Amino acid sequence: MSLETYGWLVLLFPLAGTVLIGLTFRALPGKAHGYIGTLAIALSFASAIGALFALQDLGAEERQVTTVAWDYASTVGVDAQFSLLLDPLSVFMVLVVSGVSALIHLYSVSYMASDRGYTRFFAYLNFFVFSMLLLVLAGNFFVLIVGWAFVGAASYLLISFWYRRATATAAGIKAFVINVVGDVGLVLGTYFIFKHTGSLDFLRAFEGAGEFSRNDGDLVAGCLLLLVGAFAKSAQVPLHTWLPDAMEGPTPVSALIHAATMVTAGVYLIARMHPFFEQAPAAADVGAIIGCATLLIAATIGLVVTDLKRVIAYSTMSQIGYMVMAVCSFAYVSGLFHLMTHAFFKALLFMAAGSVIAAMAGEQNLDKMGGFRRAMPFTFGCMVIGGLALAGVPPFSGFFSKDEILAFVIARDDWHIVLGVLGYVGSFMTAVYTWRMIFRAFYGPPVEPARELEAGHLYHAPEHRNPATGEVEDTDVGFPGPDHHIAEREWSMKVAMGLLAVGATFAGVLQIPKVTDVLHTFLEPSFHDSRYYATLEPSDSLTWIGLAVGAVLALSGIAIAYRLWVADPERRAVSGLRARLVPLYTLFARKWYFDEIIDTLVVRPFAMFGRFARDVFERVVVNGLLVGGPSGAVRAGSAAVRAAQSGFVRYYAALLLVGLTALGLYFLIAAS
Amino acid sequence: MSIEWYLVVSALVFSIGAGGILIRRNPLVILLCLELMLNAGNLALVAFARAHGNQDGQIFALIVMVVAACEVAVGLGLIVAIYRRRLPIDVDELRELQG
Repeated sequence: MSLETYGWLVLLFPLAGTVLIGLTFRALPGKAHGYIGTLAIALSFASAIGALFALQDLGAEERQVTTVAWDYASTVGVDAQFSLLLDPLSVFMVLVVSGVSALIHLYSVSYMASDRGYTRFFAYLNFFVFSMLLLVLAGNFFVLIVGWAFVGAASYLLISFWYRRATATAAGIKAFVINVVGDVGLVLGTYFIFKHTGSLDFLRAFEGAGEFSRNDGDLVAGCLLLLVGAFAKSAQVPLHTWLPDAMEGPTPVSALIHAATMVTAGVYLIARMHPFFEQAPAAADVGAIIGCATLLIAATIGLVVTDLKRVIAYSTMSQIGYMVMAVCSFAYVSGLFHLMTHAFFKALLFMAAGSVIAAMAGEQNLDKMGGFRRAMPFTFGCMVIGGLALAGVPPFSGFFSKDEILAFVIARDDWHIVLGVLGYVGSFMTAVYTWRMIFRAFYGPPVEPARELEAGHLYHAPEHRNPATGEVEDTDVGFPGPDHHIAEREWSMKVAMGLLAVGATFAGVLQIPKVTDVLHTFLEPSFHDSRYYATLEPSDSLTWIGLAVGAVLALSGIAIAYRLWVADPERRAVSGLRARLVPLYTLFARKWYFDEIIDTLVVRPFAMFGRFARDVFERVVVNGLLVGGPSGAVRAGSAAVRAAQSGFVRYYAALLLVGLTALGLYFLIAAS
Repeated sequence: MSIEWYLVVSALVFSIGAGGILIRRNPLVILLCLELMLNAGNLALVAFARAHGNQDGQIFALIVMVVAACEVAVGLGLIVAIYRRRLPIDVDELRELQG
């Protein structure tokens, strides 16, 4: 089969899966829908591998293929087609997305087994994968925007999956609204670029990029607006507040959408739009600085959060900050490399966290966890591998990808050194908060669920409660199901986590500095028009020093976490630190007051404006003037006319006679 | 005899009919008064036809009679329907179609 066919098949399987699951939700029993969904994504992944081979068969110059299904509109100046762009970058993204998605589907088959919304879950999940693949395969801005919006919608559906939980629906709405802000940015940014290049098609638009002068006003505006889109999707400051709240969704959703795939769409977007960003370095620098700010802010919050999933969520934000910083510093390969390794180890961490949460019967608070090491050896092993990769300990995958980012960022420019150094500070904090989480959940005296598990039975809470608010829930549709499933007992969860653990451990070999550069060579055709791709290269000494510093920081971070949370069971040092640094601790624990700031600056003024519109504008202007004016005139006029309609026949006859007589007299007078 | 006399009689009959419609409340009488008015018109038509010496007016008078016959049929039908429904036979009482 040809490359084009594979490209379309990649899209077709998840779509067919969604439709099939949606239509047969009554016809098929039990777990069938889970397996259909998993199979659809696995077939999509197989097609992606087919596309990879077909792409490699082409000559290096020809590895950018646009395939058009049909034209939506080809009028003057607009070429809206349904087209896919198959090049190394999109195939790389497709492989990561479909591969990780297939494993997460497999994990969900068990994890969601007792949930009453099982079928709905897989229909949504397949729809999400379809949207995400559409986003990364898009061959023009038009399809990109469609995929972008679909992904936001799928994210909303899945965050609010337990729709009877008020906290979950609120989180879904928040995510959707912030994503729509990003959509608007993307659409407006597209407009600014389209205005000059005159084509929606990526390849033709990229050719037009060279015609912009450097830092052209429209181009910088367009790129900044694209960055707004990327930041909303990728949870960068200040559009990040939805991501921690999105942890209200089921854990596989957090693993798939809010760690491995959707939130990396912004990174993909910036890498895809590199011809524009290189022509507008001012916008790219803004992106790099915000990426760096995000990675630091998220890491500091991660140090103090006590919700297991939110620790990983903030770590996701922080890691995406690294990627954004990389692609905005034109170190594309390192950014995308980190995207891939992050997809592996972050999905793994979420899955392990899901297993722990299941063992705790839905409880997510780290304060109530402890001592799961012996009770859940497999989960513990996976968490350790994920934690080592995330902290950047050699030779795990995160070590190579993160240090490559930092070395490239430092090599980029003079002032980028500051960003690189701050990145190292962030990587130290990453090690601390990751291992704080692991030590608190798995070390120390076993809590009751852990003891029960060691004795051989799974802990069940006396009553089901919302972990965020403590409200009592039932287990019917719209709430989590009654049974919880842990990796130790379910083969599908075990297989998914095991495969990801292998990826998280060994994916680093693709890009060992000075040894292998598989990704760099592979992605070359997508970046053939980049000015920095071939030339941006850290010096040998910088590379080795960077690797050494990264490894030392990671190990010392873990060591400090060990001293604070394991070697000191009463945690006197931690509480001492907390007491001494009260303002700093409050700042971190309140998440740098971003929710409050956004609430005061955006939400409240808008709500006030809305109330004003409702009370004054709507009531006085619309209801009173616009609607009331004409309708009042009609009513008054008709009341006058209605008075003549008395119903007395004789009265009508008299009117008729008088009228006729008057008419006759008029004509007589006029004639004489 | 000059045409004036015919026209005076015609006007007189027409006025009696119109006055009757305005004054009386019994639908049957109103129908009769209508007939009076129509016949006053007929008289005027025939008188003019004769004065001008052509037959058009007489043909019109015949058509008016046809119309009058139809109208009487409809009017009497209405009155019978009113009677059967035991509604008051008084046009002032029958005023449900007001605006």
